[in-house]
Amino acid sequence: MSSKNDILSAIRRHTGKRYEMPELTLDAIAYEDKVARFADSLKAAGGQAVLMQPGDDINEIIRQHFPDATRIASNLPGIACATFNPDDLDDPRELDNTDLAVVEGHFGVAENGAVWITRQVKHKALYFISNSLVMLIDRNSIVNNMHEAYKRTENMTYDFGAFISGPSKTADIEQALVLGAHGPVGVLVILK
Amino acid sequence: MSTKHSKAAARFIENRKQEAWHDETLWMVRAKRDKMSHSLPEWERLRELASDIKLYSNSHLDTLLEEFERNATANGAIVHWAKDAAEHNAIVDEILQQHKAHTLIKSKSMLTEECGMNDYLFGKGYDIIESDLGERILQWMKLHPSHIVMPAIHIKRQEVGEMMERVLGTEKGNSDPTYLTHAVRKNMREKFLTADVAMTGANFAVASTGEIVVCTNEGNADMGTSFPKVHIATFGMEKIVPDRESLGVFTRLLARSGTGQPITSYTSHYCRPKEGGEFHIIIVDNGRSDILARPDHIRTLNCIRCGECMNTCPVYRRSGGYSYTYFIPGPIGINLGMLKDPVKYSDNVSACSLCLSCSNVCPVKIDLGEQIYRWRQDLDKIGKASTEKKIMSGGMKFLMERPKLFNTALKFAPVVNKMPRFMIYNSLNAWGKGRELPAFAKQSFNEMWKSNKIK
Repeated sequence: MSSKNDILSAIRRHTGKRYEMPELTLDAIAYEDKVARFADSLKAAGGQAVLMQPGDDINEIIRQHFPDATRIASNLPGIACATFNPDDLDDPRELDNTDLAVVEGHFGVAENGAVWITRQVKHKALYFISNSLVMLIDRNSIVNNMHEAYKRTENMTYDFGAFISGPSKTADIEQALVLGAHGPVGVLVILK
Repeated sequence: MSTKHSKAAARFIENRKQEAWHDETLWMVRAKRDKMSHSLPEWERLRELASDIKLYSNSHLDTLLEEFERNATANGAIVHWAKDAAEHNAIVDEILQQHKAHTLIKSKSMLTEECGMNDYLFGKGYDIIESDLGERILQWMKLHPSHIVMPAIHIKRQEVGEMMERVLGTEKGNSDPTYLTHAVRKNMREKFLTADVAMTGANFAVASTGEIVVCTNEGNADMGTSFPKVHIATFGMEKIVPDRESLGVFTRLLARSGTGQPITSYTSHYCRPKEGGEFHIIIVDNGRSDILARPDHIRTLNCIRCGECMNTCPVYRRSGGYSYTYFIPGPIGINLGMLKDPVKYSDNVSACSLCLSCSNVCPVKIDLGEQIYRWRQDLDKIGKASTEKKIMSGGMKFLMERPKLFNTALKFAPVVNKMPRFMIYNSLNAWGKGRELPAFAKQSFNEMWKSNKIK
């Protein structure tokens, strides 16, 4: 406790002018076709978006995109292509060697291709450890920018939440872009 | 010209090809940033807001940090306060001891670098594993970051390949970045799964919700925190932002400025400990509260560590991160070093051409170049002004105050053009070190003006 008091009293002693909080008003960018923009942004981030058409079968879309996936995790109803429910596992380490995880996101962000997820599976590892990640969102849920995005999160409570924009990537060796640094190599967002 | 910076820069420049690559690559990142900023009509408004929010939050640290602590505690986190590096490291040590931990998996944090934490913990027998690819490469090579966002930007792929042949047994002569990255991915998987405790820094700490936000492209922070029961997050207290609405401003600026991406792959919000686990958050001062008392330099606390001032700096690009004596290089590092210890780090203030490009691109509008200029004015006060330069400016002053003598000197100046090299470039001419003298004009401007050659 004494360190806390020392720090706070040093702050009070040294703080001069107290600036006002600005009003966060701005004309933030908005897009005519948010869905198209979201797909473009996601593509630039190394991911892919598909728009479901009437009569499309979601399991077929997943199968088409990941024909080689044999270990598919999902706790969502209707994902018949899943081979196991990740919530049945006691230890997140057992998720290693998962080929594909199918999860649900809350909404997408047009300006950067990100999907907002909050932990809705037992182990948050699932979002990161599988080789590929499929996120399902409602096409009408896409917001223009991060200001709108954070407004949408206002009343959400979560222990872990994340904006995920495309696959895991790095450019730490000579600035050469490589997908799949530690997390998913591929990200597919299905717009329902 | 005999600062430590100029000497180290001279060594960097010796490898012309590498210097050119470094310069061009960082400029490419700067160009990507321009493309991003030009795609948003509200860019300048965002910078203004970001700067104003930081001025507010850094002048209300007392109330915001307490608000953060209240909310984080309500979320189930355990909040610690560290006055300095020693306290910070001791807190981490204690948590590791409590959990009988041996291996700590870490995501990139310049704060732990600032605190010298890894060496401290290695000394206590722990194993610290850096999980960011660039940091991991540096750890294997026993080096420190040369850039705060692209830590291994100074290392060539061949060097990485050769190192990995020894460390990971990768194919001989294979230096393909995809091959090498995936070799590390495979090696790191096991480390992620078996580490005892996870540690991350924080890009933002949100006062109104008590959550911390970590931005990475690799997802290494998220992988790291997914398996151990214990997560330690540490942040310098200027990382506090009032609320999620403010986050909207910063998350739009950070990656666009730093790497030219609209956002990092992962912007992760850590709110509560996992079931049956512990979430420790360390709030670190380590000199930051002292900066509050210096109105001229208070804006350095705006910094969100995007690294853009390095990418744009003509001196940084051509001299490399190791030419600076402070652990953070480039324009922000020059300033933070001077605030830490002006006598120790004064060599860096000359590493600036005062072009002010950094001030013009900084997403939180820190007056970086202007502050460097102010530090230079104070060098004499701390006994760090260059003697040679003082003599030269003394001479200039003497001449300038005597117009007749000045004009006579000017008249004879062209004589220098014909003087043998050794007479011009010697120890008496500090200006001529590392520079070529321009040829003196045959006629001075004054003479040309008077003889009506200029109208």
